[in-house]
Amino acid sequence: MAGALEHLRVLEVGDLVGAPYAGKLLADLGADVVKIERPGSGDRARQRGPFPGGVPHPEKSGLFLYLNANKRGVTLDLETPAGQGAFDRLAAGADLLIHNVHPVDAPAHGLDYARLAAVNPRLVVTAVSPFGATGPHAHYRGPDLVTWSAGGVATLNGDPARPDLPPLRVPGDQSGYQAALNAAIASLGSLFARLTTGRGEFIDVSAQESVAAILELTFEYWPYTGLIASRLGAKPIQPLCFMECRDGWIFVCAIEEHQWRQFVEIMGRPEWAEMELFENRLARGANFDALRVFLQEWCRDQSVHELYEQAQRRRVPFAPVSTMGDLLGSSHLKARGFFATLAHPVAGPVTMPGAPYKMSATPWTLRRPAPTLGQHTAEVLAEAGVDVAALARAGGC
Amino acid sequence: MAGRAPLAGIRVADFTWVWAGPFCTLQLAHLGAEVIRVETSTRICVTRMLPPFPRHEKPHFNRSGYFNQYNQGKKSVALDMKRPEALEVAKRLCAASDIVTENFAAGVMDRMGLGYDVVHGLRADVIMIALSGYGATGPDRDKVSYGPAQVPLSGLSSVTGYHGYPPMHVGVSYGDPTGGLHGAVAVLAALLHRARTGQGQYVDLSQWETSMAVLPEPILDWTMNRHQQPRDGNRDPQMAPHGVFRAAGDDRWVAIAIEDDAAWQRFAVAIGRPDLGDDPRLAGVVGRKQHEDLLEEAVAAWSAALPPEEVTARLQAAGVAAFTATTNRNISEDPHLAARGFFAEQPHPEVGVRQHIGVPWRMSESDCRVRAAAPCLGADTDQVLRDVCGYRDREITALREAQVLT
Repeated sequence: MAGALEHLRVLEVGDLVGAPYAGKLLADLGADVVKIERPGSGDRARQRGPFPGGVPHPEKSGLFLYLNANKRGVTLDLETPAGQGAFDRLAAGADLLIHNVHPVDAPAHGLDYARLAAVNPRLVVTAVSPFGATGPHAHYRGPDLVTWSAGGVATLNGDPARPDLPPLRVPGDQSGYQAALNAAIASLGSLFARLTTGRGEFIDVSAQESVAAILELTFEYWPYTGLIASRLGAKPIQPLCFMECRDGWIFVCAIEEHQWRQFVEIMGRPEWAEMELFENRLARGANFDALRVFLQEWCRDQSVHELYEQAQRRRVPFAPVSTMGDLLGSSHLKARGFFATLAHPVAGPVTMPGAPYKMSATPWTLRRPAPTLGQHTAEVLAEAGVDVAALARAGGC
Repeated sequence: MAGRAPLAGIRVADFTWVWAGPFCTLQLAHLGAEVIRVETSTRICVTRMLPPFPRHEKPHFNRSGYFNQYNQGKKSVALDMKRPEALEVAKRLCAASDIVTENFAAGVMDRMGLGYDVVHGLRADVIMIALSGYGATGPDRDKVSYGPAQVPLSGLSSVTGYHGYPPMHVGVSYGDPTGGLHGAVAVLAALLHRARTGQGQYVDLSQWETSMAVLPEPILDWTMNRHQQPRDGNRDPQMAPHGVFRAAGDDRWVAIAIEDDAAWQRFAVAIGRPDLGDDPRLAGVVGRKQHEDLLEEAVAAWSAALPPEEVTARLQAAGVAAFTATTNRNISEDPHLAARGFFAEQPHPEVGVRQHIGVPWRMSESDCRVRAAAPCLGADTDQVLRDVCGYRDREITALREAQVLT
C-alpha cells in the first residue's frame, strides 16, 4: 500500500526540530522530501546527538537520524547566486517548501515569499520561526528554552513549596515539536485548498504562539477571573502526585472519590485513611502535607509495576514513571510494533520511535535511513536538470 | 485572508471530549471545517465543568474558560446516546460527514453501535480517527488513561525535573495537545489521499505513542548507549549559560540561552562583564559547562536587578536569545502577539466578549481563523438535525419530547 502523501514533492531547509519534524511527518506518510543542508556542516542536529558511545560524529547523531529518515539529502549554499539558482529549479517543481531559517536571515537565503511565488505560484511556503515573521519581536532569537518560556508553559512547572527554584522547562525542544506539528497541519490544509484554487501561499508559524496554544485551562484564568496562573499554587485536589516505590517512581492519581476508595482498598484500608483530615478530595488537597507522608511510607515497599496493574484492574488511572528502558521493554508497545530499527550506512542499525498513528489504507512507513551529508545532491539536481559540475565550480553546492 | 477556507465544505462528526480530541478538531475548525460536537447533558464534557468561570461564579457548563478556549468555531448537538432513538440520529450525522472523530476508551464506540465497521457501512469514503491513551490494539488497550498520567507514562517525567529532584510534570497535560495535533496531521493526510483516490480509512492513534514521537533524544540515548538521561533542570548539554534566571519583581524570571561562542561574547559585553568574555577558560562551551554554577551566579547577579522585559530588550538588541518567563497575564498583554492578531475575541451568549488564544499560524491567502465562540451545549441541535440529518421539524419535536435531544 502506498503512503497518503506519495504524490507530494517537498523541499525542506531545516535545522534542528522546527522544520525537520514537519518534514518527517510528511515523509513518513510517503512524501518525497528533499532536505537541503549547507555544505560543510549541514543541519545543526548533526552536532546534537546523542551519539553512540558519546563520541560526536556528524553521521551518527540520534536526533538527526530520527528526524531525517525517509528524506533525500542535498547540499546547497543558499547564500550564493549559484546555489539559489539551483534551489529555484527545485522549487519550480515542488508542491511545498518548509523552512525554519530565521526571518532576519531568510531573504539572504533566497527564501522571501514574493521571490519564490514568482518562481512557482503553486508553491506553498511554510516558515517556522521563534516569534513569527511579523510584529515587533519578529527579529528576536529563541532556542527552545526561550520560546517555551515565552509561550508561558515554563511558568506553570515547578515545586509549589520552593519559590526559590525557577520555572522549569521540559527537555528536547518541545516548542520546536509543537511548531512543527502546526506547520504540518497548516501546510496540509493549504495543499487541500490548492486543489480548488490552484495557488500556493505563505504560512507563518510562530513557536511562541504554538506553545501559548497549549496552556490548557491556565490562560483563561486572566480574561475570565483576573488571576495569574503560577507554578506555586498547590493543587486543590489530591492525590495526584509522584511517589517513590522500591523499584522506581509511580504517578498516583486517585482524585475522584471512587478512585480514592479503590486505592484505600489496595492499601489494605489503613487506619489513617479513615481520618477526617482525608475525608474528601478537597480535604486531601488541603492536608496533602500529611497525606504525602502516609502515602510515601506505604508506597516505598511497593513495586511500580504491581501497583500500576492493581490500580488499573480497579479502573484507577495510575501510571508508571516510565524510564527509557521501561518503554523499550513494554510488551504493549512491542505488540503494537512501535519501535522501529533502521540500518544506516555509517551509524549502523538504530532503534527509534516508529509510527505515531496507524492508518488503515495508507500506512506510515520507514523506507530509507537519514541521508549522509550531500548523499543525493547529484541525483536530485540531475532530476531537476541542474548541471551539477557547473554548480560545484560556482561554489553553489 | 479574504480567500477560501481550506476545509470549506468538509464536515466533522466529533464524538471527542476532554482535551486531546477537541484539540484535534479545533485545528480543523480553524481551517474552516464544519465541526459538530455530539454532546449530552447526561454526561457533560469534563472541561465544561472545569474552571475558570467568569468572576469565580459557580460552575456552569456554558461558561468554562477551558471549554470555551478549545471548542471555538464548533457546533454542538445535544444527544443522549443511551437512548435507542439517538443511534439513528448519530448514524445520519456520520453518513453526512467526511470525518468522524472520537477519543473514548478502546471499544466504547463499538458498544455504542458506531464502530468503524458500522460507520464505514454508512459512508464508504469516511475518514474515522480514534485518539485513545494506549491505542486500539495491544495488551494494555483497555487500561484507563488520564491526561496528567500520560506525561509520566510517556517517559517525559523521567527526564524532567530539577537536578537531583524527583521526576516532575510539564505544567500542562502535554500528551493531550501532542496527541491532538498528530491526529490532525493524520486526518489531513487522509483527506488529501481521499481527494486523489476516493478512498477513506481508519486511523488508530495512541497518545502514548505520539508522546514518544517527540522524545527522540532520551530514547535514542537509551537504544544507542543504554543511558538514562538525568534530570538536569533548565540546563542543556551543549549550551551554557542556559537557564531561567531571577529578575526584578515579585516571582519574575527570564529565560536566557547562549547558543554559541559568538553569542557568549555578545552576552558578556551586554551584561557589563567583558572580563568574562576575555577569560579563555570560558571561550568554548566545554569550559562554560565546567564553570556553569559560577556563571549562573554571575548572570543572576545581573538579571535580578532588572525587570525581565528589560533583560529581554537589552539581550535581544545585542543578538542574545532571552525572553520573560511569561504568565497568562504577560501573554494576554503582549504587544507583539496583539500586533500579530493572535487573539480571538468572539461574542459568546453567556460569557460575553473575552480574550481567547487564536490560531498559532497565519496563511497569506486562505481564510483561516477562529470563526465563532465555543457553542453553548446543544446550541445547534435543531439546525444540524434539520439541515444535516434531514429530520422534519415535527420529528425533531418528537425526539425532544422523548428526551433524546438532551
